[in-house]
Order: sequence, then C-alpha cells, then structure tokens
Amino acid sequence: MGTNRLRTAGICALAMTVVTGLAACGSGSVATGNSKSIQIWEGYTGVEAKVFARMITQYEKSHPGVKVNTLYVNSDNTLQKVQTAVAGGAPPDIAYLYGSWAPNVAKISSVVTLTSLVKQPGVDWNDFWVGERDVATVNGRVIGMPALVDNLAVVYNKTLFAKAHLPLPSANWTWSQFEADAKKLTISSIKQFGTAYVTPGSEDTVWHWEALLWEAGGQLLNPDNTKAAFDSPAGLTALDALRTMSVTDKSMYLDPTDSAYANLFNSGKVGMLVTGPWDLSAFPNVKYGVQVMPSFPGTTGGHQTISGPDNWVVFNNGASRVKTAENFLLWLTAPAQDKYFTLKTGNLPTRQSTANSPGYQTQMNAALPDVSTFIANLSNVKQARPQIATYPQVSQVIGNMIVAVLLGKQQPKAALDAAAAKVNQILAGSG
Amino acid sequence: MSLSASLALSRRRLGERPGSRRLRRAESLTGWAFVTPATVVIGLFGAAPIIWSLILSFQQNNLLSSNTPFVGLRNYRQMAHDPVVGSAIWHTLIYTVLFVPGTMVVGLFLAVAMNRKLRFMWVYRTAAYATMAISTISEALVFIWLFDPSYGIVNYIFSLLHLPQQQFLNSPSQALYVIVVMTIWGWSGFAVVIYLAALQGVPKDLTEAAAIDGASPVKSFWRITMPLLSPASLFLAVWLTINALQLFDEVYLSTQGGPLGATTVMVYYLYQQAFENFNFGYASAIAYVLFIVILVVTAIQFRIGRRFTYYRS
Repeated sequence: MGTNRLRTAGICALAMTVVTGLAACGSGSVATGNSKSIQIWEGYTGVEAKVFARMITQYEKSHPGVKVNTLYVNSDNTLQKVQTAVAGGAPPDIAYLYGSWAPNVAKISSVVTLTSLVKQPGVDWNDFWVGERDVATVNGRVIGMPALVDNLAVVYNKTLFAKAHLPLPSANWTWSQFEADAKKLTISSIKQFGTAYVTPGSEDTVWHWEALLWEAGGQLLNPDNTKAAFDSPAGLTALDALRTMSVTDKSMYLDPTDSAYANLFNSGKVGMLVTGPWDLSAFPNVKYGVQVMPSFPGTTGGHQTISGPDNWVVFNNGASRVKTAENFLLWLTAPAQDKYFTLKTGNLPTRQSTANSPGYQTQMNAALPDVSTFIANLSNVKQARPQIATYPQVSQVIGNMIVAVLLGKQQPKAALDAAAAKVNQILAGSG
Repeated sequence: MSLSASLALSRRRLGERPGSRRLRRAESLTGWAFVTPATVVIGLFGAAPIIWSLILSFQQNNLLSSNTPFVGLRNYRQMAHDPVVGSAIWHTLIYTVLFVPGTMVVGLFLAVAMNRKLRFMWVYRTAAYATMAISTISEALVFIWLFDPSYGIVNYIFSLLHLPQQQFLNSPSQALYVIVVMTIWGWSGFAVVIYLAALQGVPKDLTEAAAIDGASPVKSFWRITMPLLSPASLFLAVWLTINALQLFDEVYLSTQGGPLGATTVMVYYLYQQAFENFNFGYASAIAYVLFIVILVVTAIQFRIGRRFTYYRS
C-alpha cells in the first residue's frame, strides 16, 4: 500500500469519526419534526409488556398518523436516565416514574404541569383514588397521571392457621391479635415464623411502619412539614408492636436483604406477611388468604394502609408533542383502558369506577385469589407520605431507627427521640 | 502487504531520504487517524465524565433543576463534618485490609495446589476460575442463603459443632465480614489464574538445583518460588486494592449498606447521596476524594513494592 492511499484512508476515518461523534452529541432525537410521533419510557416486563404493546397498537390504529414509540427502561433507573436525557436536551415525551420521586421530579424544568388538563371535563380526576392524586400533586401542582396503585395488607397461610387451630383473621382484627397469632404460629423447632419484616433500612422498611404509625393515629411530620411528629405516643405504639414480635416473642423473621421473605412464605415457613398485591403471584405453593391491616383499638386511626402509587410524567418537547402526549395519556388512563389493563395483568385498578364496575372483582379474583381484598383496601388509603424533596434523607433516618429497635439495639422511646432530632436537623436544612 | 510491514517500509524510506517532510507529515497524520476513533470514544465516555464530575463537585447540583450555584469547596468541607463519611472510610479500610491479603492467600494456596500434572486438572482449574464468570447477583443470592441466620448452612454447621448461632447479615458487627468472605470467594479465581501463570514461569532448574543442594521443599518455596512470584503479587495487590476501595455491587445486592450502616462503604455512600438524596455535587466530591485516595495508595504500593519485587531478566 502506498503512503498516499494510506493517508487518504486515514483522513477519511478521521473525518467519519468526527462526523459521527458530532451527530451523537447533537440531538439523539427520535422524532424531530413529527409532532405526531412521541416516545414513552416504561418498565413493563412479561404480561404487562405484552398487554401494553397491544394497547399501543390499538391506539395507533384508532388515531391514524400518531406514532407511539416505547422504550423499555428498568423502572428503578428511569429517573437517573431521565436526568441524563434532560441534561442532553432530549427527554422522552412520557416517562413512568416512581411516586416517591415526585417532589424531586417537580424540580425538573421541562416537566409539564397537568393541573388544568386533569380538570378538563371527561377526565374525572376525583375518580382516581385519593392516595394517587396526592402523590401526583406537588405543592398544589399536578405533575403526573396515575400509572399504578397498590397498598399493603396481610397475606396469611391458611394451612398454617388450621394446623395451629387458629381462627382466620377477621376484617376487624387488632394488632394484639396479630401479635398473638404470630406467637402461636412460631415453631422454632421446625424454623417456622409467625411473620416477617424487611430490614435493609431502606424505604421498604420505612413504609411498612408508616402504615402502623397512621393506624395508631400518628403522623410522620407536622402539617407544614417543618418538624418531626412521629416521636409521639402513636409512634411508640407502632414501634412497640414491632418490638414485641421481633425481640420479645421472636416470632418475626428479619430479612436484611429484602429478598428472602417471599420464598419463605411460599415454602410455608412464615404464617403472615404484610405485603402488597405484587407478591401474590409469587405464592403458588401455599393456600393463602388476604385481610386488611389490623387496627390499634382505642386510637383514632382505625384500619388504614399505605400506598405507593407511580406516575406517568410528561416532558416538554414542544407544544405540539406535549399535546400528542397528553392526548395519549388521557386515553391510557381512561376507565376503559384501566379496566382492560388491570384485568389482563392483575394490577389494581387506578380508578374507583373500575373497582365498582359490575362483575369486575369476581373476574379479578378468578385470576389472582383474594386480590379483591387489596382492591377494597384502596379505600383505606387515607393519607400519603410527605411530599417533600428531603423525604429520602428522612426515610434513611427512620429506616435506621426501625432496624435498631427490631435488632434489639435500641429501646423504642430512645430510638424515636434520637431519630426525631436527626429529622428536625434535615428539615431545618442542616442535615 | 501487511500494515506493520508497510509502516516499516515507509520508515526505511524516511531513512533513505532524510528531510522528506511531506512523508513524515503523512506518517504522523496516518498515526493520528488510527488513534482518533479510540481517542474520541475514550474522550466522550471516559474523560468527559471525569471532568464533568470535577465541575459538579464544586456545585450544589441535583441534576434536576437548572439552578446549579457554584459553592467552591463547600462539598469538600462538608465531608469533614459528616460522621457517615468517617464511618464509610473506616468500613472501606477494614474491608480492604481483610479482602486483599485474604484473596491473595487463598489464590496462592489454590494455585500451588493446582500447579502439578494430574488427571482432569483442567476441571479443577475451570472450577476455580468459574467464580469470576458467575455474575455478582447470583453470588450474592447464594451467600445470602448460606449465611441466613435461620435457614443457612453455615449456622447449621455451627450447630453440628456445638458453636453458638450467629446473626451474620442481621448483625451490625458481623455483616461486613460476611461481605469480605463473599468477595474473597468471588475474586479468588482471578488470583488463582494470575498465580498459576506466574508459577509456570518458575524455572525447574532453579528448584532442582536447590533440592540437590539440600533445600527442603518448604525452604525452596519461600526462597525461590515466592521471590519469583513477587511481580504477580504486586500486580494482584494493586489491582485488588483498587477494586476493594471501590466495593459496591455486593453491598448493594445484599445489605444495602445496613444493618444500621455497618456495611456503608465509600462508593455505596456516594451512590446514596447521588441517586437517593439527589446530592450530585456532594457525591462527586466524595468520588474525587476516593479517587485521590486510590491514587496515593497505588503510588505507595508501587514504591514499597519495587523494593520487594524481583524481576528476572
């Protein structure tokens, strides 16, 4: 090969690299120029993915000219990727984002405010459960449409209850009954536990306890979110209940990895679990029942639960694409689609009207036994976690407080006081 | 004509006709053309993030809002007053001090045991290296069950030996050591391969000569084999230390920094700050401090290592 030809080849390669490099930095856009083409980031897998794809095909058929491109993104990482995309100036038009991120999502300048959209006639915003609406709203501004709703209830092993000659939990049961049942269901010789609790100290540890706190009549923070309020008699009641089972009775299996409890329940090693509907399909080997969370008699809380709803969030890629995205979301979250998607996937209905439609709950139960209890339990979602940007830090403090008590490292009262002091520091902005 | 041959040829031509600037320029351009694709890729995905995170470390930045005030050294000063940073550094040090020698000793032991002619030796060697091929998530799941306080086989063996039952990952004082064991297992295969290759480079005539002179096998191992393995040992010490200081996966998959922060190491804490608390500025500052620590530790290792490393030439 002569030097000249080598050089020419080299220059070509150089030029090509520079050109492709620039192109890669430049836009990354999928749908520039076409306002009828939008991109949506979602984390659906398995059945959900199939059903969602079918719905999109249906939408495109009934809306000629509109193209909805989907991109699978693991939901745990979506915000991370959205942040990068926003920084690069090419966010998706719609993204599926966890509700716990909402206060931080609201800070992104390209997030579209949907407050007036949801008030349009025909949307029927109040048909969504209050827990969903609370999580989609940050300081009075609606930043998302409900994408998913769930809640916590008690899933119990019927066979183990029968073996222990225990009556099955009733709808008006109490935490002291739960504790007594857990104690009787614990047989250390065969390594059987009454119940289990996840103890990585993460938000999964925290939200389970928050439901107990609300049931005991307590609050996490004061009404204007400036001070801790969980260092109250209610907080003590909620923490004491967990301590009785983990430390005193040793009836509670502690799962520091958040990965063992479901297998143990499915193997008949755990009598009762406080968990959500997403776990039901992981229990094919046991005959289980579902009951609402017990209450603390003598308190104002009654039977409550906590929900972790997720949102569809719209990003601004120009007015016409926003319009296309909004129209698609209104269609996706409308009653007919909600009913179709939840019946096919076993997810809980995001709309009250879906839950109350005739025959719906029977159909749901046929696919997933007793899921109707979770549906009914949605009306026990009476409040939401504080919608503040520092919630992740607050959650870490409370997570460590709960784990310290469960491991017997700290007394409930001392743990509450120490955690409240730390939370106050965080809320004051010096944490 | 092959590429290297053609380059050699053009070099020879250069020698024949000194001062041919056109040709020299052509050659350097050709060289640049070949390295440019790699440079651009490394620049985009390597250097740019490194520089960007340095800028981030001087900002208050959550990567969400466009308001990113410059705060000077505040993020760095904040680290000095953050008790979690202190304990994260401590956990990282304990981990590194146990993990690096632990992996090297296990690796050396297995490599020596396997450095012989035996039937099916390839099976043993493959098995040893398999720990490197297994994904971290499967590794973590297996160890979670092995060390489960109620159902794990480790506590079962303890009960057979009439030893007290342990809480392992549920215990703030034990969790970090479980992670040490888990990662030594995962990395030992790597050490085995490095040591095995080095062992096969130890010339037989040296050990045979020592044996004739009356040296015991133990003595000849310490006096001949070990010094000849020193370059491999230095490489492993440096490589494993860099990896140990960056421990993340196993913690994320098993304990998520718990219980009670007992396994919160540097990289896990910066992950929490960045992706849970949205303090990207602060997280970048932690990353930069860690980077400097790694740089200093590696430099010290090379300096000390040079004194004890024997290169046969």
